[in-house]
Amino acid sequence: MGAAAQIKTLLKEADLYQQQGLLNEAKERYKKATEILKANADIANGQELIKSIVKKVVALNQAINRINDATTKPEVSGQKQDLIKNLFSGVREGDGGQRDLEGAIALAKFGQFDRALSEFDRLLADNTVRVAAAKNIIRCCIELEDLDQAVKRFAAWVKDDGFKDSELKKIRFFLDNRLRNLDHDCTLPERTPVLEVEDIEVDHQASDKTSEGPAGFVDEVEAESVDFDSELELHEEEFLDINSVGIQLPAGGPKGQMFEFDVSFQTGNSINLIIPSTEKTLLKELKAGTKLPEMQFFSPIAILNGSGVVTSKTRIKSGPKEGDYSLDITILTT
Amino acid sequence: MATFNFKRREIECKIVYYGPGRCGKTTNLEYIFKTYKKQVSGEMVSIDTEGDRTLFFDFLPMGLGKIKGCDVKVQLYTVPGQVQYSSTRKLVLKEVDGVVFVADSLEVRREKNMLSLKDLHENLKSYGSSIFKIPLVMQYNKRDLEEEGIPLMPIAQMEHDLNRQLKAPSHAAAAINGQGVAKTITDCLKLTLLHLQKELKWAK
Ligand SMILES: Nc1nc2c(ncn2[C@@H]2O[C@H](COP(=O)(O)OP(=O)(O)OP(=O)(O)O)[C@@H](O)[C@H]2O)c(=O)[nH]1
Ligand SMILES: [Mg+2]
Repeated sequence: MGAAAQIKTLLKEADLYQQQGLLNEAKERYKKATEILKANADIANGQELIKSIVKKVVALNQAINRINDATTKPEVSGQKQDLIKNLFSGVREGDGGQRDLEGAIALAKFGQFDRALSEFDRLLADNTVRVAAAKNIIRCCIELEDLDQAVKRFAAWVKDDGFKDSELKKIRFFLDNRLRNLDHDCTLPERTPVLEVEDIEVDHQASDKTSEGPAGFVDEVEAESVDFDSELELHEEEFLDINSVGIQLPAGGPKGQMFEFDVSFQTGNSINLIIPSTEKTLLKELKAGTKLPEMQFFSPIAILNGSGVVTSKTRIKSGPKEGDYSLDITILTT
Repeated sequence: MATFNFKRREIECKIVYYGPGRCGKTTNLEYIFKTYKKQVSGEMVSIDTEGDRTLFFDFLPMGLGKIKGCDVKVQLYTVPGQVQYSSTRKLVLKEVDGVVFVADSLEVRREKNMLSLKDLHENLKSYGSSIFKIPLVMQYNKRDLEEEGIPLMPIAQMEHDLNRQLKAPSHAAAAINGQGVAKTITDCLKLTLLHLQKELKWAK
């Protein structure tokens, strides 16, 4: 191919790439054409052509810079935010706080912080999710690099009576940890202590459920819905919520029989069950490391078949479930 | 993750169009939107930039009607292909049931196709899924440009680059004029519904 023909082809390609938004590719082609033009001074109108190419490249560079400089998560219209909230709230059936919470988390994940914050604020009034909402407010402030605001919000919660002491303690723990991770030096305010009389207010069933499990796990469950931007924890978060499971023993014992248990709590692909001490055969078969090739997972939306492995088995030493066993099972891909 | 409502016998699944920036994902959805009006069950929403690059996603809801006694609904999404949108891309992929990987046939995009496929692999893995297990269909797009003398990769080479191990069903396409668009989505829907049938046993 002669130089002139080569240039023609290159310019044609460059034009097309530019049209399709492949700006770097277009630039490469223009550059190459310029080089050939410079090496072949005898081409008619060579100088003119070079000039017009230079102009195009300048425009391309500007466009490339504009794209590179644009924020990746700009604020979008309220209508689009509604769509994001709806489509990415995870919980599809059911209603109430949990769904709204997940919707607000989705908004935050897509960088719609103002809207997310106002939703979390609203959810502070819902006592089934208010601790998670508070933690997410803190998380938003941190994403917006406004640590002072995070502390201010916490200070306000300390002052008013919206949160119980036990709830505030969780929020404080959360904020304290974040601040420490960010090397932000500051002392968080304390509530003036009062004598704690046992709660007599009727609690929502969700909080009853979490209090069933052995102490110390409650925070883990809640933390799950909080770290909306943590890539590492996303994996856990993606697991379907499982209400109960069916276990079939691999060998020995009553073969083929399916034992069914409620899941007392779940973190990602790890679930915890309480097995009553009366289930002697089953308890004998299950130890840490036991593989369960036949399991059924019942979620509100579907029954899934899969397998799991027992990761720990502990006898509960006190409380109403004393003598029963707490079993942790990791779900393997179904 | 598909939702299956036992009571209403209704299944809803999510298909995501994945691929490098500017490969033609949005063009696929636009064609489906304007061509299969009867099955489109709402507006197509695009959250994009001024330069029509997808910013967050495109969304197109469809209703396929009754299949094996079950009402089948599908949500089609595209991810933003540009590299800088990696975190959004991952969010959109969440709970996906089937994937269409749109590869750009332009020779100059060879490496970008491979990087995007790798990115898909990693994102699926991080969600506990796998590119080897998920229903997946390949589309080699922009074949129309061959006639215009623009350098394209031969299909055989694209198969070798992208589909050697996956062995997914693949189609040549020119989404801009609709060629190959229907074949691609039908294949992906079939694979996805079959896969969900095995997992959820939704069909009668
Ligand atoms: N010639 C030709 N052009 C195409 C074809 N498909 C898409 N295009 C063009 O390629 C460019 C990018 O198409 P889009 O559909 O916006 O690409 P995308 O994959 O959604 O891009 P991102 O949203 O940035 O990831 C547009 O200019 C389209 O017109 C095709 O089959 N043939
Ligand atoms: Mg697009």
